[in-house]
Amino acid sequence: MLSAAILAELRDAVGADGLIVERNQLQTYECDGLAVLRSLPAAVVLPRSTAQVHAVVRICARHHIPFVGRGAGTGLSGGALPDDRGIVISFGRMTRILATDIPNQRVTVEAGVVNAHVTQRVTPAGHFYAPDPSSQSVCTIGGNVAENSGGAHCLKYGFTTNHVLALEVVLPTGELVHLGSPTLDAPGYDLAGVFVGSEGTLGVASSMTMRIVRRPETVQVLLAAFDSISAAGQTVSDIIAASILPAAMEIMDRLAIQAAEAAVHPHYPECEALLLVEVDGPFAEVDLHMKQIRELCKANGAWEDRLAESEQERLLVWKGRKAAFAAAGRLSPDYIVQDGVIPRTKLPVVLEQVAEMAASTGLRVCNVFHAGDGNLHPLVLYDRSIPGQEELAVDLSMRILYLCVDHGGSITGEHGVGREKQQALGYMYSEPDLDTMQRVRCSFDPDNISNPDKLFPRPRLCGEKTGKYTPHPLETAGVAEFF
Amino acid sequence: MINTQDITAPLTAIAGAEHLRSLGSTIAVAPANSEEIAAILRFAQENRLNVVPYGGGTKQGWGYTVQPALLLEMHRLNVLREHTWQDMTCTVDAGCTWAAMQSGLAQHGQYVALDPLWPERATVGGIIATNDSGVLRLGYGGLRDLIIGMTIVLADGTVARTGGKVVKNVAGYDLHKLMIGAFGTLGVITSVNFRLHSMPQCTQGFTVAAPAAEPLGKLILKLLHAQVSTVAIQLRGTTTGFDLDIQLASLAEVLHTQAAALEAMAQSVGLSSRAVGGEVWNARQEQMDRDFVCKGTMLPSEIARFAEHVRGLGGESVTQATGIMIAGFPAASGERLVPLRRDMEEASGSLMVLKQPSEMKLDCWGTLPDSLPLMREIKRRFDPEGILNPGRFLGGI
Repeated sequence: MLSAAILAELRDAVGADGLIVERNQLQTYECDGLAVLRSLPAAVVLPRSTAQVHAVVRICARHHIPFVGRGAGTGLSGGALPDDRGIVISFGRMTRILATDIPNQRVTVEAGVVNAHVTQRVTPAGHFYAPDPSSQSVCTIGGNVAENSGGAHCLKYGFTTNHVLALEVVLPTGELVHLGSPTLDAPGYDLAGVFVGSEGTLGVASSMTMRIVRRPETVQVLLAAFDSISAAGQTVSDIIAASILPAAMEIMDRLAIQAAEAAVHPHYPECEALLLVEVDGPFAEVDLHMKQIRELCKANGAWEDRLAESEQERLLVWKGRKAAFAAAGRLSPDYIVQDGVIPRTKLPVVLEQVAEMAASTGLRVCNVFHAGDGNLHPLVLYDRSIPGQEELAVDLSMRILYLCVDHGGSITGEHGVGREKQQALGYMYSEPDLDTMQRVRCSFDPDNISNPDKLFPRPRLCGEKTGKYTPHPLETAGVAEFF
Repeated sequence: MINTQDITAPLTAIAGAEHLRSLGSTIAVAPANSEEIAAILRFAQENRLNVVPYGGGTKQGWGYTVQPALLLEMHRLNVLREHTWQDMTCTVDAGCTWAAMQSGLAQHGQYVALDPLWPERATVGGIIATNDSGVLRLGYGGLRDLIIGMTIVLADGTVARTGGKVVKNVAGYDLHKLMIGAFGTLGVITSVNFRLHSMPQCTQGFTVAAPAAEPLGKLILKLLHAQVSTVAIQLRGTTTGFDLDIQLASLAEVLHTQAAALEAMAQSVGLSSRAVGGEVWNARQEQMDRDFVCKGTMLPSEIARFAEHVRGLGGESVTQATGIMIAGFPAASGERLVPLRRDMEEASGSLMVLKQPSEMKLDCWGTLPDSLPLMREIKRRFDPEGILNPGRFLGGI
């Protein structure tokens, strides 16, 4: 509970209509995309400007009140989960695109701008904003910055961190600072580079300048059907070895294909592994590359390939891929979504081990992955009405992450650590590594009020808590896909 | 201050007598690995000895001058440890020269897609500490886009890993980004993981010449917005005129159509292109031979204006289309650079003095950012006794 005096200060900062304290209204903010974890904040503020964000954080700093920034609440690791003593700073009213500089290929936006709106704004000028998380129709740039969001196309275009040039940040100590610069190589430490992906633990960004990218002349998507995941995986390696850098490469296994087919009927071939390759660029180059890719698919035993060239065909292909997760609900009453990364070449061996681990628990695991960069999204299917099965599923999903680390990979490629994977971070990094990260954390946030109790491993007694995937209301309503 | 014997004995115990040299008031020590570096730094911190990490020594003059008690020579950490070419990643010791690393990677037709200064002598660690990059930055990004992991040793001897060996990874903070361009003030880089690219199959260079920079500035913006596969663009400015160099990289079958598109763009600004060889890409390094050299940063739309400004001061410049300029000036330019710096800073850029005649006293770094107190705090947490390259960095960090 916040005192009346503090609430009055907050009201002064954001106006009466910018402060939420009613329990039923606060419930909107009690969780993010990891809906199994819930916690009611003490208050929510809806600032309209950087100055108001600044005022709110200064109040928090003065009274040691925890705070967390929130965009659309689509994060999948509990990053925007509030502290029950704390304040949520919602960016729902900071949705202005402040400047577009087409000649220099830059845009400056407020943190609450929706990812897809940036692309919409610069499309007439032949550009797009490259990072494209599956939730891009609703997720915000501020959230993307906090999580260093990727997307299917980051294989070629990189992640949020590769596109953010400058940030306006309110530090947990209450100062407003400018990190990075619209030009490259600003003198000083690359604080913008450290801030992006820090999951709200280093302060809150109120506006940012990003790079935009010229639209490719053409885009083609190929679907190829294989008899085994390893054949599809080998094809991915062969494509890369042939010096081709596709915009995206995705693999789905039989279960994932079934789920997608049941949900959105993308008319995928029935097979053990489906490979989806998207190539973009100048016409002549794309044609030649696609010809080479089809040959590599055939050489690895692809028995069917289809080229989607029209916008409509491409959208249908992608719709199936992006629906695969939500569609898992058609295969099983409950499921956990995981997000691990392995070196690309470890794909066959890791998948074999995952299958063995699944078999030994009697659970099914459905696989969808960004194969080009080795980012796995295993879905652990289970039924919580069967006693003990949820615990088995949680345990299996964590063991899959540890397996990724054992093979030289990472516990998260795009969903972040948040509240969900704090213990797993301790498996991936040793104490000195984490201690070094803490030095950065303490430099920015000595009082530990900026999204506290996230990211870093907690004492063991808190334990790890992940949980079944609960669709976000927007997802259920068909407004957005989340992966 | 402790005497030389008190320093040499413990260092000998750590690194061996054959890896210790006396250079006047400085002792040079050449450790073999991260563990020895950690022991040396612990010793230095306890005794408050200034430490300067030293690779190829090519850029030691950049930033403010530091008088080291210990020169930490990195040349024994010089191995390309791992090249997992199927995954297109590698792990390399920080003391390895850039050229040695690249020749190892070339066996599988791969490379770290960055062209730093003096690759034969400059080491991986020194290039990272100074955040050097060349013309390939346009096509492939800078070090912050190519480094996926690192091992560092902090002043108190903590050996920390950051990132990993996979390209996609959002677990924990990107500490390696903090080390890039930190001039060795936060820790000693001992090993680096890079993401790799395949060497382009076919490239072709072109040059468009003009007496003034303005039409070439327009052409740069056209190229950035065009459907051609340019991996490098630089504007060379001399006192007599300007040349815009463009490198295309694509499939052989496609290059000729792209070359035609390029020529059409040149003609649209009243100019024409001609094919050139690879030697033009040495222009940036040639500027570095001058006595007075600066690095300027600017938006792409400002390149022509600042290239003219530099010519007006009697200088020469090489500017990448990403907006990074290396400019050489006559020794007498002196205070005339102050308005240039102000102009660049007002246009969201910066001007860093890399090298100046000894009688010149221009500040190396320029106007300090509002995040300087935060930078100082990070320095304090990483290096509380201030032993690592003290005073080298901006604001005297």
